[in-house]
Amino acid sequence: MITALIVDDEVYARQALRRALEPAKDIHVLDECGNALEALVRIRADKPDVVFLDIQMPQITGLEMLSMLDPKHMPSIVFLTAHDEYAVSAFEKNAFDYLLKPVTADRLELTLERLRQRMTHQDFSVLPETNHLRQIPCFSLQSIVFLKLDQVEYIESRASGVYVIDTLGREHLTSLRLNVLQQRTPLMRCHRQYLVNVDQVAKLQYPDSGTAEFVTHGGRILPISRRLLPEIKEQLGIV
Amino acid sequence: MDLHSVITLSVMLLQQMCVYLAVAYALSRTKLFIPLTRATIRWPHRLACYVIFTAFCIMGTLLGFPVVSGNAIANTPAIGAVLGGLLGGPIVGLAVGVTGGIHRYFLGGSFGLAAALDIVMQGLAGGFTHRYLIRRGKTRLLFSPLLAGGLTFISILLEMGIDLALSRPLPQALHIVALIVLPELIANTAGAAVFVKILLDRRDSLEQHSRAFSAKALEIAAHVDGVLRDGFDQENSMRVARIIYDQTGVGAVAITDCHKILAFIGIGADHHLPGTPITSPHTLQAIANNEVFFADGNEIPYECSLSPHCRLGSSLVIPLIGEEKQVIGTVKLYEPKTRIFSTINRTLGEGIAKLLSNQILAGRYERQKSLLLQSELKLLHAQINPHFLFNTLNTIIAVTHDDVPQARALLTDLAVYLRKNLKRPTEDVQLSDEIEHIDAYLRIQLARFGDRLSVEFDIPQPLLNVRLPAFTLQPLVENAIKHGTAQMIRPSRIRISASQDAHSVLLVVEDNAGLYDANGGGGLGMNIVDRRIKNRYGESFGLTMSCESNVVTRATVRIPLEAAS
Repeated sequence: MITALIVDDEVYARQALRRALEPAKDIHVLDECGNALEALVRIRADKPDVVFLDIQMPQITGLEMLSMLDPKHMPSIVFLTAHDEYAVSAFEKNAFDYLLKPVTADRLELTLERLRQRMTHQDFSVLPETNHLRQIPCFSLQSIVFLKLDQVEYIESRASGVYVIDTLGREHLTSLRLNVLQQRTPLMRCHRQYLVNVDQVAKLQYPDSGTAEFVTHGGRILPISRRLLPEIKEQLGIV
Repeated sequence: MDLHSVITLSVMLLQQMCVYLAVAYALSRTKLFIPLTRATIRWPHRLACYVIFTAFCIMGTLLGFPVVSGNAIANTPAIGAVLGGLLGGPIVGLAVGVTGGIHRYFLGGSFGLAAALDIVMQGLAGGFTHRYLIRRGKTRLLFSPLLAGGLTFISILLEMGIDLALSRPLPQALHIVALIVLPELIANTAGAAVFVKILLDRRDSLEQHSRAFSAKALEIAAHVDGVLRDGFDQENSMRVARIIYDQTGVGAVAITDCHKILAFIGIGADHHLPGTPITSPHTLQAIANNEVFFADGNEIPYECSLSPHCRLGSSLVIPLIGEEKQVIGTVKLYEPKTRIFSTINRTLGEGIAKLLSNQILAGRYERQKSLLLQSELKLLHAQINPHFLFNTLNTIIAVTHDDVPQARALLTDLAVYLRKNLKRPTEDVQLSDEIEHIDAYLRIQLARFGDRLSVEFDIPQPLLNVRLPAFTLQPLVENAIKHGTAQMIRPSRIRISASQDAHSVLLVVEDNAGLYDANGGGGLGMNIVDRRIKNRYGESFGLTMSCESNVVTRATVRIPLEAAS
């Protein structure tokens, strides 16, 4: 059985695809999502095998949403679009699967056949939109807050999860792992548990011989691991 | 001393003065004198003033007559010195006086030193009078012949005083002064007055010339303004030719393109007919070589190429220049055989040709610009957004499944939308027609976005008859969907309203997304909406965008009320 999630901002488009998938008895549609935010939550919770993902969606496009997923737990993605020449040519080039809306039965069957064969691993990093996070999705009780990178002071990994601390000192839980955030943002790794926004650093200080720490504009102190110190000093231009 | 010799000397000195003034008159016709025709302030002018009046000062000395065995000279250096000072100021006056004085001193005689000092004194007298008049703001008086004469008169009297004071022996000095005082007074006073009069005349003739010239040029420029913008054709050319003919007073005026006469007015209009091909070799040559051709009828003979009885005797042909310096026609001015071609009209002719060339160019440019706009628009609307079309079809397929009547309604809306999109963008439509177009479009979008979108119309009934260019509101609504609704997770609202104030009708499309990026520009569609209205109704109308981030984006179209009714 292949579990699937349908992500499209138009209700009739979701309905049309769900109906088109009905004859395929080995496809189990877990849920439908109307935007990328809902989808991020469902993908984390349900871990579907495949996500049918519309590209044109409000606030966070399908491609941007991919950048917010952990590459280690990436579902198979089938892109959906009504018309997007640029995206389609990128999919063709990289052999990513896509469906044009309205979906024809033949074309859908081809896609399903590929899914059943569990084709090769997809590396979406070739799509420029998936490499850079413009904002970090953070979960609060009822909603997802999107923090712009210049609002971030530092990010800390704790036992309870990864927390983004904004410039006002508020903490936000995010589903993204620290190394994904390190890869897709310009934030700097200063410790096994910390990423820091260099623009928010006020001071580098040495409390004891051999140890170093950052003090942020907000007055918070972040440890710097001994192993990373030479690299950090080089990056900051300190000799 | 006898009266006879005084009179003889006076007459002789006056004769010399005639030679002196003849030289002054001759020089006044040259460019040398132009700096002297106004009160000099700038140093190059002062220098010219110094050189010229020093020359006249020395000439006045040399043209004199030695009296009493060469001890004194009855002469007229005073004019140069006084006028040098009067027109050039104290410094020039002093310089002229010193130079003239040194020259006189070396001619010697018992009066030598005194006469040298006289000239310096006269230069200064002129100079200080200059300064006095300038400070009082009486610059005009500098060119008064009466003042120049009077000042010279006084300075001659002073001169005699100095002579008597410095020259020895006194009896001889008295004798000499008695002999020369009357001749010098008469000759110098008259000479200075006439000299200034010559300058005045020169200035007036210069000014009259340029006044007549600029008056004509301005008159023509004002009258022909814009005529050729509407097209370089027979009708407009005729209007322009009429204006040139009236204003310049030449015998005849013609305007041609590269092949035929477009307009002809004046002498010879009976056989120089508009619409006929160009036959004049001069014109053909002017077109071929892009050069002004002038046949004065004297050195370069002019012969009408059409009729041997033509009364025209001289002709000026000036090419009109279009894009990339190509000749696009000519302007021709003629004078009859009985008149000479004035230089004013020659210069004017060339100026007119430049003016007309620019107008024709501007007109062509404008027409091309509006053509471009039309074609851009056509392109924009021939192209229905494929994203919209396929999404709509996808929606309809889904709806067909369980709501056939709604599917049928959506297909009808799509048909209406597509048909309205085939309207010619150049035509005017009623607001009601534009609303119908938008309505079909929005009903489809309502189905697509479901409860994420709500739409509100607020158009007062009377305004539904307002006329406006087709595709004025439609692109704004599409924009509100594309950059508003489609980007929103929370419910989106689009409101279309119309209102009027004293002078205009305001059409407003607003969405509650507030995502408009002023720096990103409005995109091609928005630009065209704005430019089209501005082109038609003027700069105070058109499209304005305003945005309150995340709250509202408002597109306001303003069109004139009179255009609406």
